[in-house]
Amino acid sequence: MTLAIETTNLSRRFGPVTAVAGLNLTVRTGEIFGFLGPNGAGKTTTIRMLCGLLLPSEGSARVAGLDVATEAESIKRLVGYMPQRFSLYGDLTVEENLDFFAGVYRLSGQERRRQVLETLARVRLTERRRDLTDHLSGGLKQRLALGCAMVHSPAILFLDEPTAGADPPSRQRIWDLLYEAAAEGRTILVTTHYVEEAERCQTIGFMHRGRFIGAGSPEQCKADMAEDLLEVDALPVMEAAAVARGLEGVTGVSIYGHTLRVFSKSAAHLRQHLHEILTARGIAVKSIRAVAPTLEDVFMSLTRDASDGNGGR
Amino acid sequence: MLAVIGHVARKEARQILRDRRTFVLLLVMPIVLTFLFGKALETGGLRQIPSVIFNQDGSPESNAIVTAFSTYDEVQIEREVGTLQEAQDLLAQGKIKAAIVIPQGFMKQIETGEEAQLQLLLDGTDNNSAPIVEGVAQQVIQRYNAERAVKGLWARGVRPDRGQRLIQPVFVQTEIRYNPGLRYLSYVMPGVIGLTLQLLTVMLMAVSITREREKGTLDQLMASPITRSELILGKLLPYFGISLLNVVTILFVADRWFNVPVRERLPLLLAFCVLFVLTSLATGLLISAVSRSQFQAIQIAVFYILPVFMLSGAYAPIEAIPQAIRPISYLFPLMYFCRAVRAVTLRGAGLLLVWKDLAILGGFFLVFLYWAVLSFKKRVA
Repeated sequence: MTLAIETTNLSRRFGPVTAVAGLNLTVRTGEIFGFLGPNGAGKTTTIRMLCGLLLPSEGSARVAGLDVATEAESIKRLVGYMPQRFSLYGDLTVEENLDFFAGVYRLSGQERRRQVLETLARVRLTERRRDLTDHLSGGLKQRLALGCAMVHSPAILFLDEPTAGADPPSRQRIWDLLYEAAAEGRTILVTTHYVEEAERCQTIGFMHRGRFIGAGSPEQCKADMAEDLLEVDALPVMEAAAVARGLEGVTGVSIYGHTLRVFSKSAAHLRQHLHEILTARGIAVKSIRAVAPTLEDVFMSLTRDASDGNGGR
Repeated sequence: MLAVIGHVARKEARQILRDRRTFVLLLVMPIVLTFLFGKALETGGLRQIPSVIFNQDGSPESNAIVTAFSTYDEVQIEREVGTLQEAQDLLAQGKIKAAIVIPQGFMKQIETGEEAQLQLLLDGTDNNSAPIVEGVAQQVIQRYNAERAVKGLWARGVRPDRGQRLIQPVFVQTEIRYNPGLRYLSYVMPGVIGLTLQLLTVMLMAVSITREREKGTLDQLMASPITRSELILGKLLPYFGISLLNVVTILFVADRWFNVPVRERLPLLLAFCVLFVLTSLATGLLISAVSRSQFQAIQIAVFYILPVFMLSGAYAPIEAIPQAIRPISYLFPLMYFCRAVRAVTLRGAGLLLVWKDLAILGGFFLVFLYWAVLSFKKRVA
């Protein structure tokens, strides 16, 4: 299988700050690769380097087989980019925006017309094509931005938080479009900090402080989680959490509604111990059971490890 | 290349036309500015400088002097005051610029052959009006002296015309070539046209790229295969179109309203205006390419336009600028524009006389444009 994106020790510094620190990334052609990580993890910086907007400080990257340092302008013809911030002309109509970007990508005449109409239909904005972009709702703006990023039929799409702030139906519609594009053989690299969106990707990369702290398919990531997980149903839940946090062997506790998720090195050992201590403190324990982690659990676990590794908080 | 430039230009034009208020402003502002600047500078010199007279003598001779002063348009005798103190107070309060004092015994001194004096109290803070009042006083006294001398000679049997000749044997014969009325307005109009054209073009272009940078649209553009020249030339074109319209309206105002002779050498004049507009647009683009934000771009534009105002010879000849800083004047395209347009409109100079300035403006345009393209980076290093 060919690689759409391949980076080797890719790094970027801004003065004293290292935004991306030696990233090794491979994205196969035709897959949806999700970049997951907290704000400031280096996702946007990585995408900007891959799009040829930012020069790497160190390392190298190839996009569609072309070197980002020396062949950026050729890469730009082959990729589409949707920035995190809405970046279209508010004083132009939906159709004018699409037409402008199609022209900027050197489409002309009949071909440009066809691509614009096709894209309008694809992002379901044909009815709104004469509306000023400023007058669109947030979700529609995002769909238009996606349309502008792919009006020239790019082989690779870089989408920086394409669903940020969108309501669930809008998000669903964007993801439908992404699947459609992937089905046409396009490679998609999408960043998000919504964990449930990462579940939709074929491969995900957890980014933290400029490097990958885990990567693979969502299933694999869950299976690979280094910690065990217990779900504790106890009342009052806040007190139970405080007790659990103080126990030896417990690496993390998160509260979900009326249950706790307790991370530890070994659940088998902890389970009995936890039950006894909680009961002794007068906390009513309904159940304690080992559960499979969600991606969110994996994310929490990985960022905790990485933080500890870097000296922690 | 050309197709993309046209494509960008169409999009820019569409945005300009859609912003109705700004568009109307763009068309009306130059006319208003030319009119205002022109009106403000129409008279050129000071008139009706507020003054008072303290006629302490009150004799027929001193009254004749007072009457003589009142015939001059430059001096406005507000009234006669009763004491020297009053005149001094008015001067101190800034209510008058000059006090003309005719001391007691003025006539007597004249008649007994002693030296008589006319005294002037002038406000030196206003260095424009003081010399004008002094000049008027000199003329009044000169004329008075001459009249008295002619009368004196006549009393001794010399005919007045002969007496006149004896007193003033030499006259100056002046013939003013070009701008015969010595109209300051005719002199300053090229400067007004240049400043107006420059103000709009530089400001407009200066924010054109930075606005896209601020709104984030530049990011989307930079990720596309558009080249720097395509973007910059595409942005330049529609503003060039608007500026051409402005050239026409400004010249029209200059011709119709201010009677500045623009019609005689119209093609040459238009060539200068077009090249100057292009140079100014390129200056604005350069500012836009190096600025991070619209605010910064406007700051730089103001810092550029203000010295141009003072140093380009738009209002006064650059020879009035001290030698030490005069070389700076040669850095501004407006200086060459004013120099050449003055030559064309006032002296009727042809291409043969002004081709150098035309070439210099063309050079400025190419250098600034190339510099703007180079300063504009598609990628952050």
